[in-house]
Amino acid sequence: MNWPAFWLSLQVTAVASVIILVIGLACALLLVRVHFPLKILVETAIMLPLVLPPSVIGYYLLLAFGRGSPLFEWFNLRILFTWQAAVAASVVVGLPLMVQSSRAALANVDPVLENAARTLGASEVRIFWRITLPLARRGILAGMILGSARALGEFGATLMITGNIPGRTQTLPVAIYDAVQAQRYADAHLMVLVMTALAFAGLLLARQLEPPTPGRRADQSAKASV
Amino acid sequence: MSPRLYVDFVRRLGNMTLQVRLAIDTEILVLFGPSGAGKTQTLQAIAGLATPDSGLISLDDTIFFQRVPGKPVINLPARRRRIGYVFQQYALFPHMNALENVAFPLAGRRDARERAMELLERMHLAYLAHRMPHELSGGQQQRVAIARALATEPRVLLFDESFSALDRPIRERLHEEIRALQAEHRLIVVYVTHNLDDAFAVGHRLAVIRDGRIEQIGRIDDVFIRPANQRVLDILGIPNAIRARVVEVGPSGALLDWDGVALEAPLLNAPPGAQVMAYIRPEDIRLIYPDRPLSRIVGTNHLDATVVERRMGRHVHRLRVALPDGRQIEAVYPASSYATMSLAPGERVRLALRKESIVVIAVHSDPPPIEEEPRLDRAKCADGCPKSDPAPVSPSPS
Repeated sequence: MNWPAFWLSLQVTAVASVIILVIGLACALLLVRVHFPLKILVETAIMLPLVLPPSVIGYYLLLAFGRGSPLFEWFNLRILFTWQAAVAASVVVGLPLMVQSSRAALANVDPVLENAARTLGASEVRIFWRITLPLARRGILAGMILGSARALGEFGATLMITGNIPGRTQTLPVAIYDAVQAQRYADAHLMVLVMTALAFAGLLLARQLEPPTPGRRADQSAKASV
Repeated sequence: MSPRLYVDFVRRLGNMTLQVRLAIDTEILVLFGPSGAGKTQTLQAIAGLATPDSGLISLDDTIFFQRVPGKPVINLPARRRRIGYVFQQYALFPHMNALENVAFPLAGRRDARERAMELLERMHLAYLAHRMPHELSGGQQQRVAIARALATEPRVLLFDESFSALDRPIRERLHEEIRALQAEHRLIVVYVTHNLDDAFAVGHRLAVIRDGRIEQIGRIDDVFIRPANQRVLDILGIPNAIRARVVEVGPSGALLDWDGVALEAPLLNAPPGAQVMAYIRPEDIRLIYPDRPLSRIVGTNHLDATVVERRMGRHVHRLRVALPDGRQIEAVYPASSYATMSLAPGERVRLALRKESIVVIAVHSDPPPIEEEPRLDRAKCADGCPKSDPAPVSPSPS
């Protein structure tokens, strides 16, 4: 068992999860609440990492963080071949799952409840924190767990942009690849088992969270009586 | 001066233009009309949940909405209008218990919990304060919703088909409650419904709305007796409205005088001389075969009439007949009935109005007040009031 890789994976996943939560929720809100032209294109772009080959994502990340990119030149962000690059890769692949799930959860909050809160004197900010967010929290949490699980399992893009430096940038999935290449099968067995267990637990938890969201639309009451 | 809610706006919707003009005093105004007529949209415009295209909505000196040529545009957000809104589907926050729901609009007040508890007590719900909404019955949920709406101390309370999902006895109790609350807090209440029984049970005045327009507004019984036009009649869905005088009340029923025609009506809680508003259920009018013995069911209220018009339907036929003095009434009968009778226009028929066909809607013991605030005397109506269940299919007379 490659413990440094294990701990690094946890670290990367933890940081990525927080970023996924914040950015994903913002994206979901944007998509649910704001109507703008060509919204469908933005939606599709956010979902793209679900279907793109990891090498393509890795290539984009190399462009984004490499020499000559705005992030590199203007913000002095030099994260390639560090563990932060693994975080970036994890965020990109985890985000679509988070956006998808939390977006559905937000859209599912009965607008009548938000209207009720408005007539009761609540500001939009208060409505979001006291009504919308609590009612959508299960879907949001489920999305974050799915995103995290995906982040934990990120391999291809990570390999391309972190350089696979054992003890510094080598995450668990990459370590498994290494072990197999070096024919250290006992090592690989254990790590595969750990990965499977973590992924299984994550999916299980997400599924437990997802179905009944309190405050689902009771019916089409908004439409029923015009 | 009593507070006055002034509503005058235009809003274009997909398939119609909503054009509403209402002045509402301290009273319960029932906004009545078929679904899709624009009732909810009107409430939403008043509450600030929907924005009209143009017009003026104000409460006394406070302008809620203004968009008229030559004046600055004003659109007060819903949260600043302090209007209580009771929704059809209760709209309680499902993640808060009853007390927290009622305390929600009181956030920031130090006595929020005490005040919320008082409001729950007022609605006889204190013992359920810590229940979650899904643990409450529909009627209880709606009481919590009313308590919550009252927490902002609104001067205007809007009910949007609020009780349509509730059983009749519960609905009746809530209607009593609303009338009490309205009087207690001197509220302006707008009550939206498509149910005529509810309209009568709760309203002082009635505004009939259809296709986005107010067809008629007035005292509820006046609208009923003197519909402004055929559309109002149709919306009310009642062809045979009558006004009659109580002659006597016996142990088995009442005798009414309908401008010279004696009618036997069901038992009635009213003194002789009282004016009653009633209608004759078209489904309960029978035709008498000239050549057959009378059955018990048609034993009362025989009238001679002339057929004016017959409209055939797939399941029922409608017959419009004129009494000798010209008054017309409408009868509805199963398409399979009276096949042997010729019912062409001009044909003479003999009708039997079953006792149960006379449905008394309201009773006036005294001449109706003219200057007073419009009101219906509910006490007189406690047990015999509007009961217009779906057409009963009584044994076919054929």
